[in-house]
Amino acid sequence: MTHRLIAFVVALLALAAPALAAETKPDVKGLYLLSDYPAVTVQPGTTSTVSMRLRNYGLAPERLSLAVAGAPAGWKATLLGGGQPIAAAMPATDDSVSFDLRLDVPKDAKTGTQTVTVSADGSSQHVSLPIQVTLAKELPAKLSLTPELPELRGSTRSTFEYTMTIKNDSGKKLLVSLAADAPRNFDTSFTEAYGSQQLTAIPVDAGKTKDVKLKVTPPDTVDAGNYPVTVHIGAGDAKASAKVALDITGEPKLTLAGREGLLSARATAGTESSVPVIVSNTGTAPAENVQLSANAPSGWKVTFDPKSIERIAPNQHKEVQALITPPSKAIAGDYVTTFNASARGENGSANFRVTVTTATMWGIAGVGIIGAALLIMVGAVARFGRR
Amino acid sequence: MRREGSPWQGLGVVTLKELSDHFTSARMRVLEWLVVLVALAAVYGAIQQIRDVTAEDPFLFLRLFTTAREPLPSFVSFLSFLVPLMAIGLGFDAVNGEHSRRTLSRILSQPIYRDALLFGKFLAALGTLSVSLIALWLLVIGLGLITLGVPPGGEEMARAFIFLLVTIAYAGVWLALAMLFSVVFRSAATAALVTLGIWLFLTVIWPALAPAIAQAVVPPDNQEALLVTAQMLTRLSPSTLFGECVLALLNPTTRTLGPVYLSQLQGAVMGAPLPLWDSVMVAWPQIVGLIAATILLFVGGYVAFQRQEVRA
Repeated sequence: MTHRLIAFVVALLALAAPALAAETKPDVKGLYLLSDYPAVTVQPGTTSTVSMRLRNYGLAPERLSLAVAGAPAGWKATLLGGGQPIAAAMPATDDSVSFDLRLDVPKDAKTGTQTVTVSADGSSQHVSLPIQVTLAKELPAKLSLTPELPELRGSTRSTFEYTMTIKNDSGKKLLVSLAADAPRNFDTSFTEAYGSQQLTAIPVDAGKTKDVKLKVTPPDTVDAGNYPVTVHIGAGDAKASAKVALDITGEPKLTLAGREGLLSARATAGTESSVPVIVSNTGTAPAENVQLSANAPSGWKVTFDPKSIERIAPNQHKEVQALITPPSKAIAGDYVTTFNASARGENGSANFRVTVTTATMWGIAGVGIIGAALLIMVGAVARFGRR
Repeated sequence: MRREGSPWQGLGVVTLKELSDHFTSARMRVLEWLVVLVALAAVYGAIQQIRDVTAEDPFLFLRLFTTAREPLPSFVSFLSFLVPLMAIGLGFDAVNGEHSRRTLSRILSQPIYRDALLFGKFLAALGTLSVSLIALWLLVIGLGLITLGVPPGGEEMARAFIFLLVTIAYAGVWLALAMLFSVVFRSAATAALVTLGIWLFLTVIWPALAPAIAQAVVPPDNQEALLVTAQMLTRLSPSTLFGECVLALLNPTTRTLGPVYLSQLQGAVMGAPLPLWDSVMVAWPQIVGLIAATILLFVGGYVAFQRQEVRA
């Protein structure tokens, strides 16, 4: 019967020769019990799963009863297929059936190597596979973490992005949790290597790697310096960590205000008024050559005394005088004037509200007119006064 | 004959007598009723409108004076025609009434100079008007306090007070005009008619006529000069001056009363109220105009009276 079947297959192959020429048929025949890792290491008191396959190469389907032998006393060895305990399997021709061997190892099991034999018995086929189970107190590291560029440099306003590779060296898929240990007030977040979704954990297949990106945002007020960040990943007992560092260069930050933080000033139309402006550097590096300028309504003349400041050290301030001259035809009321201070890319500005009052000359002229009218009256009284 | 001694001699006597005459006259009864009714009507209309319309306003109390509700005019518009009527009503027969009652020579035979007589009559009439206006002002503020339930701020009260002074000056202009014509015309009816005619002309016709005159005088291609001339001409009317004063004083966001260039508005914070002093400065030329007009009209009446034959 076997020979006839082979003859039939050969005939079929001959007919389909041009189409199947590309496919190389493995020159294997028979029934095999397979496992990716037939020797595993487990810890006492844990459950370990070994995935297995029953492969049929060119044989007719057959019912094969499965059994586990050689499990030491106290161990529990269960065969699971499709989520439930199984006792037999039936792989089709040139197909395989997957199942798991679950080993519940008691806590008090002795360290050492045990051999558990899984066998499949049919009417014509008998296969078995010994699986070596080594009991060890400590499992070898299963995760590793490698940052691509561990040292980045930038200012407080830049974002630091570290791409790192997580490798799962263990025999099963792990959900790896991510955490970063950053200095106080540093903001950290993990995202996918190409994506914006923030993550706290990422699944990594057995033996595979995955890239994640760590984004660190330093606070604005941080001083220049080197700041380490430690990244911890973990899945169950497996842990790994890596160190990255931020090299923050300081930068100046300019703010403007009046004395005592006042942002209002008074000016008289047509005359120059002096407004004290305090330029402060709240950044982390000195500001050099600070230029002062103003955006005022058209017709206004705004100059600064002095026009520029040589240097402002961090957390220091300098006072300048803004000399504001509204046009003589300016209408009384409030106007917005913007004062700017700029030092090589760094810019600070403040909106000042300038209250313009009109010159009092016309008020005096009005008093003069009333006075003249009264004089006329006095003159009339003196000239025309009579009984 | 030249006068000997102070022109003020007898001023106090005349003023007090005239005041007592005014306060006991039937005219005063009418004035009092007018005051009460106007206050009630204006405040009622303003309160209704403020309750319905006005949201948060830092100068809520000043809205009492300027807010109108159809068909009633606002308190300020009431005043702008009520004040001239009151002033003319008190002043139109000041001197010619004495003539017609044949009491003038009898008064002047007392040790009272003509100066003092005219000054006294003017001061007494102005005093009467002031009393009425102050009463009216207090009534409005009191009613406003009761109905609004919001106490006015210091600046609001200062603005309202300066508004009261301006109103008195406005009354002075019409009083001086009425007294001038009471000197010029021997018949009280003629004087009253002429004064009322001038009032109507300046208040109603002149504002419409001024732009037409400006168009006739100024070349049409100069829009700016046209605007300025028209505005200058309308300001010859005391009613216009009073209206502009009120606008600047009671509406603190008013920045100017003249034409404005767009370039002058660049960067301006709109709707920001002016400080009190600046508002007064904006209205100051108008206030000066009202006060100076009062004095000059009075001087005109004074000169005419001094040169008049009174013994006829």
